[in-house]
Amino acid sequence: MIGREEILKVLKRALGRAEGPTEILFMGGRSELTRYTKSQIHQNVAQEDFTVYVKVVEGTRVGVARTNQLAEEAIAAAERKAREIARRQPENPHFPGLLGPQEYTPTETYCETTARFGPDRRAEVLKKIFAKAAEKGFEVAGSFSVSEWEVALANTEGLEAYQPVTGAEIGLVVMSEEGIARADAFSHDVEHIDFDSLAAKAIARCELDRGKIELPPGEYTVILEPACLAEVMMWLSFTAFGSESYLSGQSFLSGALGERSMGENITIYDSAWEPEAQGLPFDLEGTPKRKVVLIERGVNKGVVFDRAGAKKAGAEPTGHAGPPGSPWGAIPWNLCMAPGDSSLEEMIASCKRGILVSNFHYVNGYLDTKRALMTGMTRYGTFLVENGEITQALANLRWTESMLKAFSNVVAISREREVFARGGAFFSIVPAMMIEGFTFTGVQRG
Amino acid sequence: MEVKAWLLEALDDLKRTEGVVYADARYLERETESITVRNEEVAGLSHEETKGYGIRVLYRGSWGFAASGVLKPEAVRETARRALAIAKASYLTQKKPVKLDDTPPQRGTYKSPWEEDPFDVSLDEKLELLFSAVRILRKDKRIVKAEGAMQLFHTRKLFLSTEGAEIEQEIVESGAGIEATAVEGREVQRRSFPTSFGGNYAARGYEFIRSLGLVKNADRIREEAIALLSAAPCPVGEFDLILAGDQLALQVHESCGHPTELDRVLGTEISYAGGSFLTLDKLGKYRYGSEIVNLVADATIPGSIGSFGYDDEGVPAQKTYLVREGILVGYLTSRETAPVIGRRSNGCMRAESWHHIPLIRMVNINLEPAPDGPTLEELIADTKHGILMQTNKSWSIDDLRLNFQFGCEIAWEIMDGKKVRLLKNPVYTGITPEFWRSCDAICGKSEWKIWGLPNCGKGEPSQAMHVAHGTAPARFRKVRIGSGK
Repeated sequence: MIGREEILKVLKRALGRAEGPTEILFMGGRSELTRYTKSQIHQNVAQEDFTVYVKVVEGTRVGVARTNQLAEEAIAAAERKAREIARRQPENPHFPGLLGPQEYTPTETYCETTARFGPDRRAEVLKKIFAKAAEKGFEVAGSFSVSEWEVALANTEGLEAYQPVTGAEIGLVVMSEEGIARADAFSHDVEHIDFDSLAAKAIARCELDRGKIELPPGEYTVILEPACLAEVMMWLSFTAFGSESYLSGQSFLSGALGERSMGENITIYDSAWEPEAQGLPFDLEGTPKRKVVLIERGVNKGVVFDRAGAKKAGAEPTGHAGPPGSPWGAIPWNLCMAPGDSSLEEMIASCKRGILVSNFHYVNGYLDTKRALMTGMTRYGTFLVENGEITQALANLRWTESMLKAFSNVVAISREREVFARGGAFFSIVPAMMIEGFTFTGVQRG
Repeated sequence: MEVKAWLLEALDDLKRTEGVVYADARYLERETESITVRNEEVAGLSHEETKGYGIRVLYRGSWGFAASGVLKPEAVRETARRALAIAKASYLTQKKPVKLDDTPPQRGTYKSPWEEDPFDVSLDEKLELLFSAVRILRKDKRIVKAEGAMQLFHTRKLFLSTEGAEIEQEIVESGAGIEATAVEGREVQRRSFPTSFGGNYAARGYEFIRSLGLVKNADRIREEAIALLSAAPCPVGEFDLILAGDQLALQVHESCGHPTELDRVLGTEISYAGGSFLTLDKLGKYRYGSEIVNLVADATIPGSIGSFGYDDEGVPAQKTYLVREGILVGYLTSRETAPVIGRRSNGCMRAESWHHIPLIRMVNINLEPAPDGPTLEELIADTKHGILMQTNKSWSIDDLRLNFQFGCEIAWEIMDGKKVRLLKNPVYTGITPEFWRSCDAICGKSEWKIWGLPNCGKGEPSQAMHVAHGTAPARFRKVRIGSGK
């Protein structure tokens, strides 16, 4: 950790020498990751790196250059390059100018214990889990990562922002001769992760995954565990809820705000303040982060905006700008689905005949973004549920479904929600749900 | 280069450390320029410079890796110490020590071929090229999004090892593409050129960008996107399928490239990217495809982004068969994995940047053209009733690389040897070996072209790799078309 004072000192020194309006963003830190398979660590890495984004303004033209060196001359060279880029661009009528000083509502994202959780401690945790799985004759694969990073932003208008972040994420894949199961956990505080119960959960589920049969494609009642919804949310953040997909007309929300697209029991929102959402209080151009309701009781309610996108749409910026120079527009990074009043156990108990899916794999949401049509596979455990009980392990299935249709046919949502981190940057907090008439289109065989 | 001396010193210290059986160090510096123009504005434009080093240590048969961008001698020493400490932590769970193959340490240099350094070309000229194409795409108001994108890379790498390897490489890469999105009511259609998701890429200079014909093809791409708005939906059922070269490149990538990565086969990607149906027992005898299917891993093709002089553990670039006459005969390997099948590495270990560990990655994975194979026109003429699909739109494949479903941007129905109508939203699905066994025609060399993909994802932390696929259009019999929706 470099620390707030030191980073902002470097940024402000560089801004003091800047030729004109300039904003500098620092992002980076240390990340460590341990990977294992067959109950043995096979990859164990640590990296320290950061990116300094120098954004300069020439009238309404913006130039961005990046470097991974903090030395004075490296930042100065990036500023020169950014100015050269800005001067060669056409005027941008949507450029809103740089922000002045802002007030931010704090979020809790840092824990010292996580920052110090080194390779030896990760190996110790894993050894115990490997031993536990070995009692059943099972082996374990997965990854266990910890990271500690900082975001700092300052500009010539006097804006200053800083946030330290830590994250601990573990994925446990337990394998038997014929079965496989997975359990995941994420927290900014590694001590919040209950490794024993996580391992027990994956081991218990792996025991069920044997004697798989193939089920023919068709429409089934499905019970999706939270990990499935995390994949769907990540796709929706890009294809539906982001400013670029909305403004270009590709989102199902484009021109349809206020219309009903899902069932009354579905509410989706982006919030940096949800526990473990790992949200920053500000976005990467310094706008204070807002909670944005995207779907409210099934009705299309909103999308997220950066400042330029908001100006184009005649809307207010919501604090969801991405890194400078990126073409992707604003994206919701902390997507949450409102909980229901059921539980996974109650859903299984109430299911006459259906399919329980643990995880989705390789989801793709580009098929028809106006219908949120997606395809993907099931993974890490697919089960037949009959008369309220799991009765049979199934071969993985391909599904192809409109999420608008699926989210219109939800009959139960769990009270409990789980947090998932994807790529260390996209977070979702999602429940389990039971959906009627979900379409499966193929089977894994070969 | 000062950092070379610091890294050599660190490797020397590691070599003298008890228990260290091997160590290597990579220093990399890269300049990147990314430009995206969208409608009338520059939507994204950034220039990046990054430099740093990664040190990999094998301690009593267990790996550790640490990387840093701090270019100071004490930081290099600290990074080496951290890599060793991490390797010692890995050793705590060791069941079977890693043993490397006997590839002799290499000393050499490599420079990719380029005529015009893309970083010497003015930004004005690059923007004008993209805006010229975008202006043509926007001539119809139903094109709500017209985009042009370009990415340029200049990479210098140094590889050193305790075995005495010393390799310097310099690689320039360029790529660009255009895309038109048409919207009418609730209908959204997209066309891209030369292919989707950023265009085509090569390990060449700006002369490659000039050769792409972005402006020349913009009219056609716009018209195709508009025509798709009112095209008939692709029918559902079993049809003969002809895949154009760019879609076939993705098919090769997903259903041959990834499942032949030996680290996947051995289970080290099982918790992320997945495993492989091409298990070790199948090597040398498994019928992967029909007799006309020959797939080769070739890192020696000049100017392709899957090419290099040496991989990131110092193994020289090679050409090896993966599938010969339809039979599985090889894998993509590393110095650690090749001995498992009794071979020496075929040089497929690459890292995205200095802070990533090398993993087995695709190089140029090519479907060989058929000797005296037909042209695409001849192949269409030889097809009684089928569907021709072009340019990837969506992709999904299971964790063993068996069940796939791909969507394309555009398709045409073929009746009695002629393209008779345009089709929208084409999707095909299948099981990998059944699909490749149904391949009954591959076009000849005149249709063969290399497609560069700059964004192959794999590994944790995730790494995006530059890979490529040489393909000529091919025909597959009785393929399931349509998703069943």
